[in-house]
Amino acid sequence: MLNINNWLQSNTCHHSQFRDLLRLVKEKERQGITISLCIPTLNEEATIGKEVVLFKSELQDRYPLLDEIAVVDSGSTDRTREVAASFGADVYLASNILADMGFKRGKGENLWKAIYQLTGDIIVYVDADIKNIHPRFVYGLVAPLIYRSEVKYVKAFYDRPLTLSNKIRPSGGGRVTEILVRPLFSLFFPELTAIIQPLSGEYAVRREVLEKLPFPVGYGVETSHLIDVYSSFGLEAFAQTDMDQRVHRHQTTRDLGKMSFGILRTFLKRLKMKGMSSDLPDFTANLRQFQAHDEQYEQVIHEIFEEERPPMIELEAYRKRFDKKI
Amino acid sequence: MDISAPKRLLDKVCGFAEKLEPFREMLLANLVMVSEIPSPTFAESKRIEFIKQRFTECGLQNCSTDGIGNGLGFLSGSNSQKTILLTAHCDTPFSINEEHTCRVDAGKIHGPGVADNSLGLATLTTLPTILERLDICLKNDLLFIAAVNSLDHGNLGGIRFFLSNYHKTISHCIGIEGAPLGRLQFRSMASLGGMISCNVNRKVSEQSAVEVINQVITRLQAIKLSDDTHTDLVLGAVQGGASYKIPARNSFLKFQLRSNIDDSIQKTVKKIDTILNDIEQQAGVTVSLDVIARSKAGGLEATHPFVEMTRQVMTNLEIVPSDTIYSSTISAYVEQNLPAICIGISNGENINYPDEYIEIDPITKGLAQLIGVLLVIDGELCA
Repeated sequence: MLNINNWLQSNTCHHSQFRDLLRLVKEKERQGITISLCIPTLNEEATIGKEVVLFKSELQDRYPLLDEIAVVDSGSTDRTREVAASFGADVYLASNILADMGFKRGKGENLWKAIYQLTGDIIVYVDADIKNIHPRFVYGLVAPLIYRSEVKYVKAFYDRPLTLSNKIRPSGGGRVTEILVRPLFSLFFPELTAIIQPLSGEYAVRREVLEKLPFPVGYGVETSHLIDVYSSFGLEAFAQTDMDQRVHRHQTTRDLGKMSFGILRTFLKRLKMKGMSSDLPDFTANLRQFQAHDEQYEQVIHEIFEEERPPMIELEAYRKRFDKKI
Repeated sequence: MDISAPKRLLDKVCGFAEKLEPFREMLLANLVMVSEIPSPTFAESKRIEFIKQRFTECGLQNCSTDGIGNGLGFLSGSNSQKTILLTAHCDTPFSINEEHTCRVDAGKIHGPGVADNSLGLATLTTLPTILERLDICLKNDLLFIAAVNSLDHGNLGGIRFFLSNYHKTISHCIGIEGAPLGRLQFRSMASLGGMISCNVNRKVSEQSAVEVINQVITRLQAIKLSDDTHTDLVLGAVQGGASYKIPARNSFLKFQLRSNIDDSIQKTVKKIDTILNDIEQQAGVTVSLDVIARSKAGGLEATHPFVEMTRQVMTNLEIVPSDTIYSSTISAYVEQNLPAICIGISNGENINYPDEYIEIDPITKGLAQLIGVLLVIDGELCA
């Protein structure tokens, strides 16, 4: 096992290290790399306009770091697609990409289909609900991939000290990370605990890695990526970048319960596949929560399927489009 | 001079708005990034740093901050004889702790300070790139200033400092405000912004300071103001007390006095002093007046070529010049005898409230107007 503290020293960055965008663009051009940005959306009209405006202006027009800015939408019923297109993003409906593979509702579906639709050697994913969006959310993730060839997967984390002091402060992820994911990683994949925010929706990945990953279409996609990339390449394939602060909408505890259920299903499935726990039963898709009417309690059952898409490289259409072989 | 030159220049301006469309996203991105850096008066340094970085990136020379903290950048003209000053104030009335994130939708940008004055600053930081890419090369030098300490107690401190310490010749000054489009201000009224503070000593009196400030307001409203000099008293803000159930110990009133004539302000201030002295005769009551800001009356005449040509540029772009010709920001230039105008770039609403917004569509027209004004100055039509 790698020394986690050493890895944290060498593979944890701060976005400000990569502020010299001219140098970054020159290095990207020297290597002949292309980069695509994918913003997965579902009803994000309040925040999508700003993301597209900032990324297009700063990272295409001013510093040509991004070759492509794409919004992959799950079928928004608000003006998400219209707003994104009005500011110059390429807008796709996930259901129209690889249409004969059908459409499954979930963020993972959009991320998976983006591998087929977008053309970059690196794909950077940024969620659409970030209120304080800034170009650092892209260049901070892409830069470690450009400067360090051994890095394959870069994850964002957010850690802004409240006071400037030298005292030790706790640092970590949100509620689901600290209550569910990190304890699970501690038990089964201790090195992965070094990833400070394993569930953050912002990450940049090399195509040659992405195309080999199966994609849960729902909540489990980030967790599965970490386990699968770790299993193939080890912790040294990862880097993480501190983006300071991310302002986004907060989810209710009930919604976090659904998220945890999906993640747990994905996690247990991987344990089973890897033979790390062979006697697990078949998993139900039913999450049971409760609600009360006056003195009456009733059960609410949510069906949460964590279907998975196969690695993109297994699709003939993909291999044909990108001239690839298994 | 060729008499058809003004017409040719003005005709050229008409096509600008369309040419500026490709720069819309760049300006909006600058607007968002500027706006999300909190910049209350006297604490603008982070925003100035960003603007200075932008000035450097777009190739301006001498990008720096001056002694008071204004952000400066310089663009040399092809035949540097005169300098045109372009300024936008950098401060906002919003504190650092307030939410500063913006929202961009298809037609508007929402956020505290987007109109006053992030759009003005975004214009200032995008203009050098626009001029370069449109191949507009002016004969005159352009001096770009993001000015600090403008609002309230700032009392135009940033621009006043710069003008007092800059010793080269400035030919024309243009103040850029985010809103409204159609703004054309070229005169300053004499004004005095003040704060009256009331304090009641609890050991002596149980009277509420709210009652005292009420007496002050009643007496102020009874002052006879001259219509001839357009003297006016604006009661801007009141504040006081700590709880609904305890008589207030302190209260404050912020107001502005304005007039066409400096003397009229001085006379009215004397009357206010007398009123405050009367009220202070009550046991345990202390009342004082602090001056927040002052401005001097003056500015250009409506017939001045700078004003007339600006109005023609606006008309050619189908922008209707507003009737309001006074702005206190002009005062800093009046003190130095410099010809100055203040123009707006787009339409905005709810200014200085958290739900402030600006409209995106008119921005290109607002920018075209600014470039048009620069061209008519450069074409020596505004002297």
